[in-house]
Amino acid sequence: MIRTMTLALGLAFCAGQAMAADRWDGADELPVHPLACDGAAGAAVAKPYDGGKAVNPPDKAGKPITLIDVPKLIGIGYFNATSKGIQLAAHELGNVTATTDGPTEAKIDEQIRFIDNAVTKGIDGVLFAANDPVAIAPVLKKALSKGIHVVGYDANSTPDAREWFVNQAEFNGIAKSMVDNMAREVGEDKAFAIVTSTFTTPNQARWISEMWAYAQQCHPKLHWLETVEAQEDNNLSFNQATALINKHGEKLAGLFGMTSVATPASAEAVTQAKLCGKVAVVGLATPNGMRPYVNSGCVKSVVLWNPVDLGYAAVYVMRAVVDGKLKPGATEVSAGKLGMLRVVNGSEILLGSPFVFTKANIGEFDF
Amino acid sequence: MALRGPSGAGGGTVARRPGLARIARLLASQEGMLLLAILLLGAVVGAINPRFLAERNLQSILLGNAYVAVAAIGMSMVIICGHIDISVGSLIGVLATLSGTLAVAGLPIPLCWLLPILLGVLITTAMGAMIAFLRIPAIVLTLGMLSILKGGLISVTGGAWISDLPRGYQIAQTAPLGVKMPVLCMLLLTAAAAAWMRYSATGRSFYAVGGNAEAAELSGISRRRTTVLVFAVHGLFVGIAAVLYATQLSVIQSSVPANLELTIITAAVVGGVSILGGAGTVLGATLAAVLIAAIGSALIFVDLSPYWFRAVQGVLILLTVLADLSRRRRRGTLP
Repeated sequence: MIRTMTLALGLAFCAGQAMAADRWDGADELPVHPLACDGAAGAAVAKPYDGGKAVNPPDKAGKPITLIDVPKLIGIGYFNATSKGIQLAAHELGNVTATTDGPTEAKIDEQIRFIDNAVTKGIDGVLFAANDPVAIAPVLKKALSKGIHVVGYDANSTPDAREWFVNQAEFNGIAKSMVDNMAREVGEDKAFAIVTSTFTTPNQARWISEMWAYAQQCHPKLHWLETVEAQEDNNLSFNQATALINKHGEKLAGLFGMTSVATPASAEAVTQAKLCGKVAVVGLATPNGMRPYVNSGCVKSVVLWNPVDLGYAAVYVMRAVVDGKLKPGATEVSAGKLGMLRVVNGSEILLGSPFVFTKANIGEFDF
Repeated sequence: MALRGPSGAGGGTVARRPGLARIARLLASQEGMLLLAILLLGAVVGAINPRFLAERNLQSILLGNAYVAVAAIGMSMVIICGHIDISVGSLIGVLATLSGTLAVAGLPIPLCWLLPILLGVLITTAMGAMIAFLRIPAIVLTLGMLSILKGGLISVTGGAWISDLPRGYQIAQTAPLGVKMPVLCMLLLTAAAAAWMRYSATGRSFYAVGGNAEAAELSGISRRRTTVLVFAVHGLFVGIAAVLYATQLSVIQSSVPANLELTIITAAVVGGVSILGGAGTVLGATLAAVLIAAIGSALIFVDLSPYWFRAVQGVLILLTVLADLSRRRRRGTLP
């Protein structure tokens, strides 16, 4: 048994070595589009407008409008925050009334019913965050056909079922923020490792690819040690991060957490190893999971987007559509305190740079 | 054969044995093999990367799977008794969430530790009673419980995490006598359970019922009573494991840890507990839990893809079952 096991381990060892690729482990092989080091927008390939169109909507430019907001579900911190942003923008604009109403569980059939009821009742615009991009399309197209404007945020539908979609973050934007924060915290010539879910999870693989590309270009001396998988499991993430700390010792200056599970668990591992201040943790996570570590000062940067801004931007986009200020072919749109937001991918509005939660602002969020 | 000793002390007809043969026999037992495997793994990985054997990493390895080892003690008893509990991972998730919720609600902290353990015992006792008296096969009943507990937990919590836990709640982070609490629990509970299984009448009755229920009945051991009892004891270990799990980190991920039941059952089976019932020891299960944690850590230290972790775990199960079969064949106890 022992001999067989040694053999199995030996074989595994050889196979593992042979898998070394050019990019960091966990990255995909898709094309990368790193942003410029100073944050200037990359030269985006112009793509024609691919959104839908409301059929003969009544002209309400500058007039009061009534909106319904149907998020994936209601009653959770995240969509409470988007709803807060929606009310903030409506209040600021003064001529928008918005109501948030939606299913209590993220169920697409119930979400469709909520939108359908609102369309039947008569409304000027629908804001949505789709539970399913394809299944939600028919009811949104029905709204468009009745002259109701449709703008999505957070979770898209197929493009032709809505007019615009407010995109909270692009992969290269998140990647830049992650790498910039790591370099700022540990220094340009230090080494880091990555804790991710699995090497094949699409979003994480995309982020890691973009981080690799951006680091090559803007922080070439940062040294990547390795990437480990930790599923979406709190305790496994903790064990993996601890093993990385034990393995690399002094060499390890930072850990990237790629999921909202891996990041707090990495922070916990650093905390329990009493290495706060020596090993930095930068990652994607929600504020609730990170609160203890950010408040203790062990973690300085949690990268995500601000859901309050996301809801806020969605209302400004809707107002601009109704007022005729945002038309197919536009390259930017004004969104109140957020300034001018860029149009990307034909019919998407990019929220802007990711939001970094710090000790100073984390108390304002509950999701 | 019904009362065959743990670690395969079958027969026991040879009164005196030369020391060497005794050592050879010990090594041939599942516990001996596991110990050897752990030492060998340490030697090989330590040669590649000496940091693997640093005190700090050895502590991390013991700590990482300690709650799995504690749960595997109860699971071993259940399997030895001829049953199984595949709801164990979900139950740990539910009890951990309950513990954290109570703590955040401001209950006295000792109660936040004790109530989940109590509830764990109640739930598993009820499961044992249904298996014993309604004659529902354990695998079916616990499969149902798995879905109920898992679904119920997601519905109630909505997947929200529990943070802002009160100071002093994290008992798993304390280190009385210089040993981290989970490791201490693992060592003490394994020792106590091993002694209890070996020397107490109740412990022996688990082997008897699992080995041959009818023979056990004939010798006056109630199969039903034993089944309820073994599940009740199992609940105690599940409850303790859940509290260790809940208090290990500063945040509780109020969902069911993925594949936890599989890891726990794997520890029991690799530890030499016969899936047919009637044989095995809790010591083996604990050693197996440590071995599995050591392999997980070793993969990182020798730069192996963690994809291999599950594969290696699978290979271990197969090797164990093969070793068990060959031992039984040699002993002539294979049906």
